Amino acid sequence: MTKFILRRLLWMILVMFVVSVITFGLMRAVPGGPFSREKPLPQATLDALNAKYRLDEPLIVQYLVYMGDIVVPRIGPQTVPSADEDYLIEFQLPAIFGENQSFKWVNFGPTYSARGRSVNDIFRENMPVSAQLGVAAFLVAVSIGIPLGVAAALNRNKWQDFGAMGVSIIGVSVPVIISAPVLQYLVGVQWRILPVTGWGTLNHLILPAFTLGFASSALIARLMRASLLQVMNEDYIRTARAKGVAESGVITFHALKNGLLPVVTVLGPLFAALVTGTFVVETVFGVPGIGRYFVTAVQGRDYPVVMGTILLYAGVLVISNLLVDVVYAWLDPRIRFD
Amino acid sequence: MTTVNKSLPSPVVKLENHVKGESLWQDSWKRLRRNRAALLGVAIILIAVLMALFASVIAPHPYDRQTLTATNATPYWVTRIFTSMIPQGEPGGYVRISDQYLFGADSLGRDLFTRIIYGAQVSLLVAFIGPLVSIIVGFIVGLISGYVGGRVDNFLMRIVDLMYAFPTILLIILMLAFFRAGFGDLEPGSFGYIIGQLDRQTGGMLFIFFGIGLTSWMGMARLVRAQVLSVREKEYIEAARSMGTRTQGIMLRHIIPNIVGPLIVAETLTIPTYISYEAFLSFIGLGVQPPRPSWGAMIAEGAQRITSYPSQAVFPALALFLVMFAFNFLGDGLRDALDPRMRGVD
Amino acid sequence: MKLTRFAAAGLMSAALALMGGVALAQDAPSVLVTTINMTADDIPTIDPTLSETVTSVDVLNHLFPGVTMSDVATGELELGIATAITPTPNDDGSVLYTIDLLEGVAWVRYNAESGAVEQVTDADGNPLFVTAADAVYGMTRALDPATAAPYSYVLLPFVTGAPEFNAGEADASTLGVSIVDENTYTILAPDSAAFAPAVFGLWMARPVPQIAIDAFGDSWTDPANIATYGPYALKEWVRGTGGSISVVVNPFWAGAENIPAATIEEVQWRFLDQPQAFAEYEAGNIQAIDVPVDQVPRVQADPVLSAEYYRGVEPCTYYLGFDNTEAPTDNVHLRRALSYSIDRVAIADNVLQIGWIAAGWFSRPGLNAAPTPELNPDLGVTFDLEFAQAELAIALEELGIANAADLSLTYSYNDTARNALIAQVIQQQWTENLGVTVAVNPMEGSTYFSTISEEHPGIARVGWCKDYNDASNFLYDVMYSQSSQNDVNFSNAEFDELVSQARLMTDTEERRALYARAEEILNEEEAAIAPLFWYAVNSLIKPNLEYVPSVVTNQAYNEWSFSG
Repeated sequence: MTKFILRRLLWMILVMFVVSVITFGLMRAVPGGPFSREKPLPQATLDALNAKYRLDEPLIVQYLVYMGDIVVPRIGPQTVPSADEDYLIEFQLPAIFGENQSFKWVNFGPTYSARGRSVNDIFRENMPVSAQLGVAAFLVAVSIGIPLGVAAALNRNKWQDFGAMGVSIIGVSVPVIISAPVLQYLVGVQWRILPVTGWGTLNHLILPAFTLGFASSALIARLMRASLLQVMNEDYIRTARAKGVAESGVITFHALKNGLLPVVTVLGPLFAALVTGTFVVETVFGVPGIGRYFVTAVQGRDYPVVMGTILLYAGVLVISNLLVDVVYAWLDPRIRFD
Repeated sequence: MTTVNKSLPSPVVKLENHVKGESLWQDSWKRLRRNRAALLGVAIILIAVLMALFASVIAPHPYDRQTLTATNATPYWVTRIFTSMIPQGEPGGYVRISDQYLFGADSLGRDLFTRIIYGAQVSLLVAFIGPLVSIIVGFIVGLISGYVGGRVDNFLMRIVDLMYAFPTILLIILMLAFFRAGFGDLEPGSFGYIIGQLDRQTGGMLFIFFGIGLTSWMGMARLVRAQVLSVREKEYIEAARSMGTRTQGIMLRHIIPNIVGPLIVAETLTIPTYISYEAFLSFIGLGVQPPRPSWGAMIAEGAQRITSYPSQAVFPALALFLVMFAFNFLGDGLRDALDPRMRGVD
Repeated sequence: MKLTRFAAAGLMSAALALMGGVALAQDAPSVLVTTINMTADDIPTIDPTLSETVTSVDVLNHLFPGVTMSDVATGELELGIATAITPTPNDDGSVLYTIDLLEGVAWVRYNAESGAVEQVTDADGNPLFVTAADAVYGMTRALDPATAAPYSYVLLPFVTGAPEFNAGEADASTLGVSIVDENTYTILAPDSAAFAPAVFGLWMARPVPQIAIDAFGDSWTDPANIATYGPYALKEWVRGTGGSISVVVNPFWAGAENIPAATIEEVQWRFLDQPQAFAEYEAGNIQAIDVPVDQVPRVQADPVLSAEYYRGVEPCTYYLGFDNTEAPTDNVHLRRALSYSIDRVAIADNVLQIGWIAAGWFSRPGLNAAPTPELNPDLGVTFDLEFAQAELAIALEELGIANAADLSLTYSYNDTARNALIAQVIQQQWTENLGVTVAVNPMEGSTYFSTISEEHPGIARVGWCKDYNDASNFLYDVMYSQSSQNDVNFSNAEFDELVSQARLMTDTEERRALYARAEEILNEEEAAIAPLFWYAVNSLIKPNLEYVPSVVTNQAYNEWSFSG
């Protein structure tokens, strides 16, 4: 098990490397640049900006410098925080390394769209907001989705089933670009129950988390229902029933556990997608998360932010998939890690 | 949602069926036909498909004909449903009333009903092509990975991990910008130029499909593999193997029917995801190119005016909703029909 | 773990809130929350030297006012933190401007712990004041190539030695900017352009605190590090969409002649999209917003909202640029046919419905010395179908094309909802009025902007907003044949002569006459561009606010007050 996890973590590094190469290549192949403006900047200004961000160097050099700043740890005097030099990990070393030496690691570079701000600043200030919203939405999704799915499966073709599935189809087929402003208008403006936009209190969390979670719960409910129905017909459930295990016990300990398998598969990517933020919900509810940066960075050709956010997503995703695999093994002992 | 059918064939009849060697597919078709909800789904989808195919015949107006004197014109009955849309003439009224159009007109005075009919073309294509690509690629990869196992499994799953590690929508945005710019400027006559023109002719749909297809098969692959993994250890597979059935035979005869149910459910569930990708792309200005309508684009446009003209978002959303319902009914029916253990259940 | 508990608590409070209803805290009437000029995105910077967006300038105007400012109500240039600007012409045509700064303007910073605005001091504890050295430092920093300030190019024609210094060919000592004494400095302008003082007051030329910049580098604009001097001081900056920037009254600002001290205690700009801002406005949490475009008719009709509604001028022009050198748009008759066959009024009134005005020419009326419909009633492009069709016939003959439908034309634009609307209407108008088929080509924003500056597509939509309040900023800066902004490759000797001449003249009416003639050449004779619309702003402002309607895009909240 430990060996498996270690191997997957090593693999993660390779994944991140390949992701970074592909993203870098694709990003730079797309026309337009970070300083393309409706009012075009004069060539001299462009040259100065390109020189400032080293965009005038060969692509391979830019890539190596960029990755070097992220990957290679440094030792040196404590940095004055600036957009160009801002390390996620930095601490004072003991005196044996020399006077006033700090260990510095992981510098994602400056964002081009806000002077004086680093990608690490965005991670530090905006990522936690998205993560909190994402976790809340994930819990909403699971706590609506799984009971709905179970209820539907246990009452197959009864009104509970139709009701649960109807709700989930609404959840999945009404795009968030519609449901978010409608909920906002009804709950925030008409009924004045919750804040319209903003962030900071529990009340601010409710609407965006619900909007996001409800949309995702549909997928979980449907998968749960389907897989539970299938499991209920497996031989071992029949055996358990035949052995006289109480119906609720059958469901809880056997069917549910096995029925969760396909659901768990989708939970990993879902979790990763939710905690790294979402453009529409953050925009509509004015949540200062990182989701909007994913899109605006691509539109504004803010290369370091594009790279940073994609690598962040990739990292979160690989880790949550690893967790999924571990949960999988726990749910289905027949799967072994070898 | 299978309708309960108490007159299912008795076990004896079933046994006879098997003796006669009736194929799984014929058997499934029979069961599907008995499922009224699924048939209703089929009917709705059929209507939508016919609507898309014969749009030019059915639609009362050309989809791109603008009438600037009828911008945002709305029939009176619509304002009775959406009471926030106050008709001109009443206090605070701002909505231009006109019964010229069934559902009203959009911000350029184009008939909404016509555009919904034409919009079915793009949206249904997205609904069919997205899953098609994802099923074909994902199924093959997942099946091989899960069944062969070992190094092959490891290798394929790492590729899946890799593809997965990209945020889908971001990859689509990058690819769209790349393709559209890259293929737009080529010399006439080259292959790339033809592709670029094809995309332009289809209102930018080609690259949207391409982007969605390329980024959506991994979930399917993972799901297939997971199902194969849990199924392949089962006794009947062991039994089949020990009886000397060849690998392909084992897969086709035993594994596919076992995993097809959850897969169909998952795929019918992702259809709205594809359509909402399309809506989202329109929302951020990368959707199908005007004046071609799509439900996604109409919803995206309507969403921006949802408080002043809610009907402009709600009608296309309703169309989408109906089709989603249909796909889900059908998906459920198919699942039940294809699952061999569902025989005799209920 | 912490996150999980937070989320679980959220769910519970959701249930509670739905059952009981939660009273929302109302803002105290001393705080003005506004989204005017804002978007859903964070403000890129409030460093005056580096700013380039309306969002940045709107905020920093309250923190770092310039030596000159445009009066928000009239658009006219007036003195800001300067008490006098004296031009002294030299024999070689250059002009030396002597600028006297207001004395005793303190550098201040908001102290988050004490909640008070405090004076910034030097290492010895002596309070610092805005001096000529700060102003010269600000200008030098803007022009320094190492700063890579995106908007510095606007200054280049107005400061002797600036182009060479900015290109890295000369050092700062050659720059025509010098300190005379504590509160006086001079700028040597290479020519006598009358609006140079307007440029000297622009944001990139403002005084900035060297002491803070040296100490904190890039992060000097953080609330804890910044030093400002205007009527407001920076209090807080929440980054990201939905975030906000807050400023509080600067008690050390005694008020300048044209920049009064503020009465509203605190101003907060929020970063929200217009529909969300509108929802917050309706919920009573935001007091001043831009109206979402689709809401304008509803707001105008609504008995309550229409009383809070305000429509103003925005000094921008929306136009189509033709490629004047490539076929087929190199044909002047075709360009005229295309321009004269657009029914701009119908688009503005029926489709846009946001108060945009059908434009007959390029320089927005209201700009200093720009032609206006009242003074120049016969000027400009109109919707003239007969003329357009006659011109098309000539064009087809000259191009050797038998059928209008055989013309191959593409209309490119950066893909936004509004651009798409306008493109589709014009596409249909050209088809109906001229029988030409035009392909519309929406492009992703960044791709589009880099494309049009490199290789202008046949027909492309462009917008131009003023940097400083003078017609020269439109006609000379964009359309002069050698201008770097001249993407349409327009070149006309008489036009060049007119705009060069007008640039150096002082009498507004004489200049206006020259610009009117230049516009006639640009839009009617050459039809190098098809001007489409002059922008308007649509705002909603709560009735308990007394405000100054702005005609210059930016707001001056220090001139607003709560009426009780």
